[in-house]
Amino acid sequence: MRRNNKSNLIGVGVFFLLCAGLLQRLAIYPTWTRDYNKSRTQINTSLDPQQMMFALAGFREMLAGILWVRADAFFDTGNYDAILPIIRLVTLLDPQQIDVYATGMWHIGYNFTDEEQRSDRRYIPSALALGKEGCRQNPETYEMFFETGWMWYHKIDDDYPEAVKYFIEAQQRPDMIPARKNLLMMAYQRNFQIDDALNMGFKLYDDALKRVEEDGASGNKQNRDTLENNIDTMLVRMVQRGYVAEKAGRSTAKYDISPPFDVGFSAKVTVLEPMVLRVEGTWNVRPVGTRVRIVLRDKDYTVVDHGVTKNIGRPAGMDWDFSNDVNLDPPRDKTFMQDQLFVKNTRFNKKIDMSKDPPMYPFTSDKYLIEFYYNPRSAPPHIQDKFGWNGEGMTDKHFLNDKVRPGQKCIYYAMEVPRDAILLHGQYQDKHPVFKTPNYVETKQDYNQDQILLDIPSLRASGK
Amino acid sequence: MRQILSIATTTVGEAIRRRVLLIILLIGVLFLVVAPGLGVLSARSETVVLRGMMLGIIQLTSAVIAIVLTVYMIPNEIERRTIYTILSKPVQRWQFLIGKYLGAVFSLGLMMALMTAVLVFVFWLQASDQSLAAVGAMVKAPTMYFVQMSLLAAVAIFFSTFVAPLVNFFLTGGMYLLGSLFNPFFQTLQENQGTHPVTKAFAGIVNTILPNFANYNVQNPIINPTQVIQNESRYYLEVTFYGLFYIGILLVAGILIFDRREV
Repeated sequence: MRRNNKSNLIGVGVFFLLCAGLLQRLAIYPTWTRDYNKSRTQINTSLDPQQMMFALAGFREMLAGILWVRADAFFDTGNYDAILPIIRLVTLLDPQQIDVYATGMWHIGYNFTDEEQRSDRRYIPSALALGKEGCRQNPETYEMFFETGWMWYHKIDDDYPEAVKYFIEAQQRPDMIPARKNLLMMAYQRNFQIDDALNMGFKLYDDALKRVEEDGASGNKQNRDTLENNIDTMLVRMVQRGYVAEKAGRSTAKYDISPPFDVGFSAKVTVLEPMVLRVEGTWNVRPVGTRVRIVLRDKDYTVVDHGVTKNIGRPAGMDWDFSNDVNLDPPRDKTFMQDQLFVKNTRFNKKIDMSKDPPMYPFTSDKYLIEFYYNPRSAPPHIQDKFGWNGEGMTDKHFLNDKVRPGQKCIYYAMEVPRDAILLHGQYQDKHPVFKTPNYVETKQDYNQDQILLDIPSLRASGK
Repeated sequence: MRQILSIATTTVGEAIRRRVLLIILLIGVLFLVVAPGLGVLSARSETVVLRGMMLGIIQLTSAVIAIVLTVYMIPNEIERRTIYTILSKPVQRWQFLIGKYLGAVFSLGLMMALMTAVLVFVFWLQASDQSLAAVGAMVKAPTMYFVQMSLLAAVAIFFSTFVAPLVNFFLTGGMYLLGSLFNPFFQTLQENQGTHPVTKAFAGIVNTILPNFANYNVQNPIINPTQVIQNESRYYLEVTFYGLFYIGILLVAGILIFDRREV
């Protein structure tokens, strides 16, 4: 080949390289990342080389499916720990397998419990991170948005703005099941967005009417009737709870929320044995249905996220949403116990035994907080009828608080407890340390659950 | 041009007669036929698994055929000394190389067309949606795989001008594996805030310069049809041009090396 031809060829080669490079960088790569990448977003966990070989060979869906069948066998045998890595692997191999994200999220959030069926809430940030990843990987469908919203609404049962946010996202997807849309109306109420809830109710009702016109199937009719009923109930509550009067600028003095009811909260915690507590106290609400939340957690609930130490503890909870990484190994050195104290006959009395589950309650720190928290937004409707959606009809001489959840009225009290007291070590050995609210009054009446005599008020006007 | 076509036609004939290629092809076709039966192993929607698996079989089989077909092409001619007969005629070395490459691509095209026909037929028998659009959508991925395999064949031809077949087999296979990882790897580096800027820049250069096979892995929206794709035709056109440019680069480099080589 002549020297001249060689130079021409080299020139052509360089030109082709330039064209290919520019095409790759400016046009192909951005489109590929957006539309053709199996994982829509970066996943901060890699596959091991063998799995990568399978993935490269193009059998991701098949492999993911087989693994998921294997996980099913573990579900049957109750080997929950074995399921976690499979869930992660399947979601890495096949991020469009929504069932795995949804089931995995539920599994992580709900199934890890102690002997007394209390959830291990240290896993909840992982469950949420999995849900968020599922949303990012499958933005076209409503399912993961709905599931993540449900986790906030039902499991965390606090921070309702998050539930509303995800339910709205789910609502915007065309494949959202009509009956599931109703849940946004409920989430709006818990988030004290009453007007939005009512508007949503009417919108859903209009849609339901159209569906019945198009197809008179019983499911469509049932949904229409449910919505009609929900709207009726809500309108009545808006009036009874003084919401309408307040919106109109009138006095709410004659409505059910007035005058605010003093719940008279007090509590006492006795350490009976190492890691075994007796929690008792008062709550002046006579009808059943009140559940006061109790949390026992590290005073400094710190975790390491991307090499940064973060204190994610917050009153009666934690920053559930602190990470986007799916870390299936919760902070093993942290303790976070959450339970509900059921009020019966104006008192609560519960034995909380953590001694059978040391891995879940390691008690490695020096200081702990025992927190009591009552949020009227989570209360059942018959109690909200008195307290209002946002605690307007509720008060307490000592523990009413609007700081721990800004914009919301709640009852909150925290007591600091040293580790030695919970484990009955050191100075607490052979003792039963007691921690109580300053207003707690000892009583000689035995309120053990079995001996309570229910005093049910008569519904007759005479009261007899 | 006549010389190139003549070499290409001969190469196609040789390729079709090679038993090892036919056996690989047969295995691929067999897997395609039994693929619907394997779907029951998975909890995932059978259609999704079937689509993924069949496209995976075509891609894997085609890659093996492309490499095996091409790595021996030029070394065999030299070893059997048939190249002297060819080059003693009015045939330039570059014509020989391009003819060989085109022959390989034609053979590959024939074999992939056969596998695609089997894929379409099996999918048509199995799928609940037997519309022309649904079945037609399945052909998109093999079309892109054909460009991918043509690029792979060009890589193998380039290496075959200066390395032994066995080394070439691993080099080309390695390039294919790496090239298939470039985009996800590059994306991970770019999005990871902890990555050093120098590493990011280096990854950017590698992703821009070396042949990127991941661009042709367009199967995901075909397997999961709910995904919304913008400007599909434009993307296909862009990656086809990218492939042609890169094949051009590799052939030019191959010609330059082969021209200096003593045979």
